[in-house]
Amino acid sequence: MATIDLQNISMVYGLNGSSHTALDSVNVHISDGDFISLIGPSGCGKSTIIDIVSGLKKPSGGEVLLDNVPVTGPGTDRGTVFQDYSLFPWMSAFENIRFALEHTEGISGKERIDAEAKKYIDLVGLTNFANAYPNTLSGGMRQRVSIARMFSMDPKVFLMDEPFGALDSLNRIYMQDLLLHLWAQGEKRKTVLFVTHDVDEALLLSDRIAVMSPSPGRIKEVIDIPFARPRCRKTLAASREYIQLKSHLLSILYCEMLDDIEKQEQKLTGSESAA
Amino acid sequence: MTLSLKLSAEGYVVIAILIVTLLLAVAIPDAPSQVSPSGTTLFAGIIIFLLAAFVASLLYHPKEGQAVSDIFLIISLFVLSWEIAFGKLALLDPMLFPGPARVFAVFGNDYALILKGLVNSLGLLGAGYALALATAIPIGLYLGWKKRLFNAAYPIAKAISPIPPTAYLPYTIVLLPTFASASIFLIFIGAFWPILIGAVYGVHSIDHRLINSARTLGLSEKDMVKKVLFPGALPSIFSGAMIAFILSFITLTVAEMLAATSGLGWYIQYNHDFANYDKVVAGIIVVALVVIVLMYFFDRIQNYCLRWQTP
Repeated sequence: MATIDLQNISMVYGLNGSSHTALDSVNVHISDGDFISLIGPSGCGKSTIIDIVSGLKKPSGGEVLLDNVPVTGPGTDRGTVFQDYSLFPWMSAFENIRFALEHTEGISGKERIDAEAKKYIDLVGLTNFANAYPNTLSGGMRQRVSIARMFSMDPKVFLMDEPFGALDSLNRIYMQDLLLHLWAQGEKRKTVLFVTHDVDEALLLSDRIAVMSPSPGRIKEVIDIPFARPRCRKTLAASREYIQLKSHLLSILYCEMLDDIEKQEQKLTGSESAA
Repeated sequence: MTLSLKLSAEGYVVIAILIVTLLLAVAIPDAPSQVSPSGTTLFAGIIIFLLAAFVASLLYHPKEGQAVSDIFLIISLFVLSWEIAFGKLALLDPMLFPGPARVFAVFGNDYALILKGLVNSLGLLGAGYALALATAIPIGLYLGWKKRLFNAAYPIAKAISPIPPTAYLPYTIVLLPTFASASIFLIFIGAFWPILIGAVYGVHSIDHRLINSARTLGLSEKDMVKKVLFPGALPSIFSGAMIAFILSFITLTVAEMLAATSGLGWYIQYNHDFANYDKVVAGIIVVALVVIVLMYFFDRIQNYCLRWQTP
């Protein structure tokens, strides 16, 4: 069992006297084995939610429960993949995975750790690049190492913050398929919290999509994605339900964006007239 | 690996200059004030060594052939003009400006003394520098990591660090029992600050997202400093350590000139007191060679430790 409960999470930053509300009463329940995507325009607090669940940031109010236990700080029971800075540049691909394993509870013994690390390097098809440093790998390869590291640690839940956001579209397709393949492979599916701004990505991967709206960051709507797994990218994109869901999602996001642009314009004209 | 020798126009010029210098040294007598048969033999040996070194460098670094040729062109022109102007013609005061034969004769006579001085100097330098590395790196890493510690200590460190280490010389000589301990202390002080500031700056220059990524692994404080902050700050530590190294070498030489009874700085100063300028020049050449060799190894170590950086 691995559930995540976000209870009444709020996040307020003090900015030279004035305060900025990044998150306002966010409530999400993620059941065991669920793949949930957070989607929304930039600045809506998606990444802040990941930071709070991973324990990097403390919320101003509310609580995160992992298996009904409050989160108090970072830990290896949550595996995290960031956009493009999860790996240590001074360690080779293999050493990065080994280092994470050395700090994971439940796995010990040098030989076992080395064997595990090698297994996951092979699994993502980087056998020939095990000793390469991240700076010499392509962006897609680096993310493969990050994902291999996350899977190797065998955490309770996966937290992914726009993991494919910096990749070109072909690489992104490959990585999405790889992630789904690895995720479906184990005896039991992990609970995943996945941040993205790509509607197609969210539709392909998720069981549910939480749409967020900015300033203050709130969950606007949670949408169930009913497609059966394993999903096929091609047939999915042509199905009527997919198109309806996509247009629904886009229209929410589009409204958000128009509102946001209007707000920005008002702010600018306001400050101009004040000047 | 196949070796092939390709000579550019500059390459031929270098070889020609060196051969002319060799012939000049061996076949044409020096100015009367500069005569030294043993020195002439050594000088000839050095020229032959330069020739061999040039050919070897070209063979093993064919890609940098242009740079190698240019560097050797400068060296060989310098040796040739030295030989003609001071060795053969004695253009300037022959006592103050000795020719190559007389300077190289010094190496033949004084090599034991110079070698002993070199060992002494390097021992002090190594001890003081190692002490600085061992203390400044951990302190700097913690200063960079702990904001409160940093806010209190860094302004003080920045104010104290520019004081030249030799300014402490009078006190260290009075307070510390031997010259060795005094100069080790001075070298330590001189090297400490640049390394410390390099380490602090290095920690600050680590991408905070990378530190967050490390924190998600639930690292202990010790592992954070040792496995993340140290390697992350290493590029900056190396730049600090380079400045520290140059500074400590200067400090050592000055300290030896003022207060030592052995060592390279002492050798130069002592012979200056007796107006043996051929020995002074010989001492300067040794110092230059030591710096070149140490810098070479420093670069090698740095390149190895930072091999993960983008090429």
